[in-house]
Amino acid sequence: MSLLELKEVKKIYQQGKIKVPALRGVDMNVEAGEFTTIFGPSGSGKTTLLNMIGCLDTPTEGVIRLNDKKVSDLSRKALAMTRRYNIGFVFQSYNLIPVLTAYENVEFAIRLIDHASVLQIKEKVLKMLDEVGLKGLENRRPNELSGGEKQRVAIARALVKEPKLVLADEPTANLDSKNAADVIDIMRKMNKELNTTFIFSTHDPMVMKYARRLINLKDGMISADERRG
Amino acid sequence: MFSFKLGLKNLTRQKRRNVITIFVIAFAFFSYLMMDSLMNGMEEMSFDNIKNYDTGNIQVSNPEYWEDRDELLLENLIDLNQDMEEGIKSTDGVLGVSPELRFKANLNNGIDEILVRGVGILVEQYNEVFATQNYIIEGSMFAPGESKAVIGVSLAELMDLKVSDYITLLIRTKEDTFNTIEIEIAGLVRAPNPMINNGIVFLPLEVAQEALNIGNEISLLSIKTVSGDEGIITRALADSFKDKELALSAYSWKESASSVIALSAAKKGGIGAILSIVLLIGMLGIINNVILSALERTEEIGMMKALGMREWEIVFVFMVEATGIGILGGLAGCLLGYAGVSAMVKYGFSLAYIGGDGSQYGIPILDKIYGAWNVPAFSFLFILGVAIAVFSSIFPSYWAAHKDPVKAIYHR
Repeated sequence: MSLLELKEVKKIYQQGKIKVPALRGVDMNVEAGEFTTIFGPSGSGKTTLLNMIGCLDTPTEGVIRLNDKKVSDLSRKALAMTRRYNIGFVFQSYNLIPVLTAYENVEFAIRLIDHASVLQIKEKVLKMLDEVGLKGLENRRPNELSGGEKQRVAIARALVKEPKLVLADEPTANLDSKNAADVIDIMRKMNKELNTTFIFSTHDPMVMKYARRLINLKDGMISADERRG
Repeated sequence: MFSFKLGLKNLTRQKRRNVITIFVIAFAFFSYLMMDSLMNGMEEMSFDNIKNYDTGNIQVSNPEYWEDRDELLLENLIDLNQDMEEGIKSTDGVLGVSPELRFKANLNNGIDEILVRGVGILVEQYNEVFATQNYIIEGSMFAPGESKAVIGVSLAELMDLKVSDYITLLIRTKEDTFNTIEIEIAGLVRAPNPMINNGIVFLPLEVAQEALNIGNEISLLSIKTVSGDEGIITRALADSFKDKELALSAYSWKESASSVIALSAAKKGGIGAILSIVLLIGMLGIINNVILSALERTEEIGMMKALGMREWEIVFVFMVEATGIGILGGLAGCLLGYAGVSAMVKYGFSLAYIGGDGSQYGIPILDKIYGAWNVPAFSFLFILGVAIAVFSSIFPSYWAAHKDPVKAIYHR
């Protein structure tokens, strides 16, 4: 059984009187533990596709199943609950909360789903920050961290709640090559250790190099789907 | 609880804007508390000045005289007799009774003439009811049996009179014939009630009665009572007059002070209007703050939605922040108000700033209006302010939380 299943997913945006198709019928399955990259030129629909998969948006047509649950026609509240328990996000611009420390940014995500004791949560958060190489930087605020460190906090925030699926929209776009490589390494490590499914959208050839599955999106349709050993 | 913590931490963002909003709320609260203190002080002082220098706590007169009492007519007077006076004095709560004969007179200093109110009094009894003697600034109150007068200092200045000068009061007797009273000034009074200082001549009752040719009649009796018991004593006196079939009625000082009481009622309306403005300022400050915060944090709101936060949870974060601003503004306003009201109670507000004594505005206060503490106003305003902060943050917070997550995340 696939973790994620998309059937004939279409998304059309209405801009005034003009209908702009962003996705023209996407079919794809993603198995648990896959490390998948979606690539394609700007405007090809990568971000729209990630938003559909991430339950941030609903398709105009077609069906999306996550963990065998049809999510394409859920209510706003149900979509929020699906995101809360099943999906982690990593954004290009990190989207950390500036008034919270690295520790608190990660703690924020787990507090939403886990009602464990403060000590248990602390242990989990510190372990996750350690995993992404931020040991000793827990009390720094985002403005005291480098771009790479911020993205690591974002990754820790996405992974701390142990979601089934992590979606990363251009996660290395704002990073230099060294930091980008480190971030990808961390995600690969998590993919292996936790068997978390990762789906990226990217332009970055380095990210593509590490992917075990490459999906090429062109004009809102999958033009190639390559799996590597 | 984390949302609560986040809301509180958000208070440290945009410090300048938050401080301005807090200051605006604090200033609005401060203004209200100062105004409230001043108005209450003015009311308390006005009422005290009316009771202590003009009417006493209760006045007894013929009901028909009472109807036209401002005309100072020599009709429907009371025949002063010992039984009646003793009857009133023996009523529980009565501390003093002062018979008064009030009449119109023209005061002549040999050059000019001015219309005044003559008040014939029995000085010992008068001093039991009124505190005027404590404010004689030159000379003294005339002694019992002494045929002298006391006038207000403002009237003396106006007519260029001083102690030991003689004045002539031109009067009309009950039979409408003219008469005069030649009398020496024994003292000048500067009472806290400016109405006393501006146009009254106190003189012995028997001198006035003789000149007006009215025998032993008086206009009314002013009565001093235990403060706060006026209502009960007024009713007791009314019952007693009815039992004895006397054509008399008792009136609380409030009936003489109707214009000041009307002013006080208008004051309450004014304070209500000020309160509405204060709350509106607070509301606008909070709404403005939440909207600007939401606009600045659009991506953050998108991220919160991506994390799976529900709308009410995001609303809660913004509401905690707005409520925090309301609480800080309220606290600062109450502290400023405490300082301001303390100063107002101690030093007062000089009426010289508004061009003289309060009599020009119908307020029986001479130099300064002292503030009065109204502690419930502090707690009421604080609680109301916080409630308004919570209430006014709901809509803009909901507007922020209702943003489409995709548009919020990628709004740039």
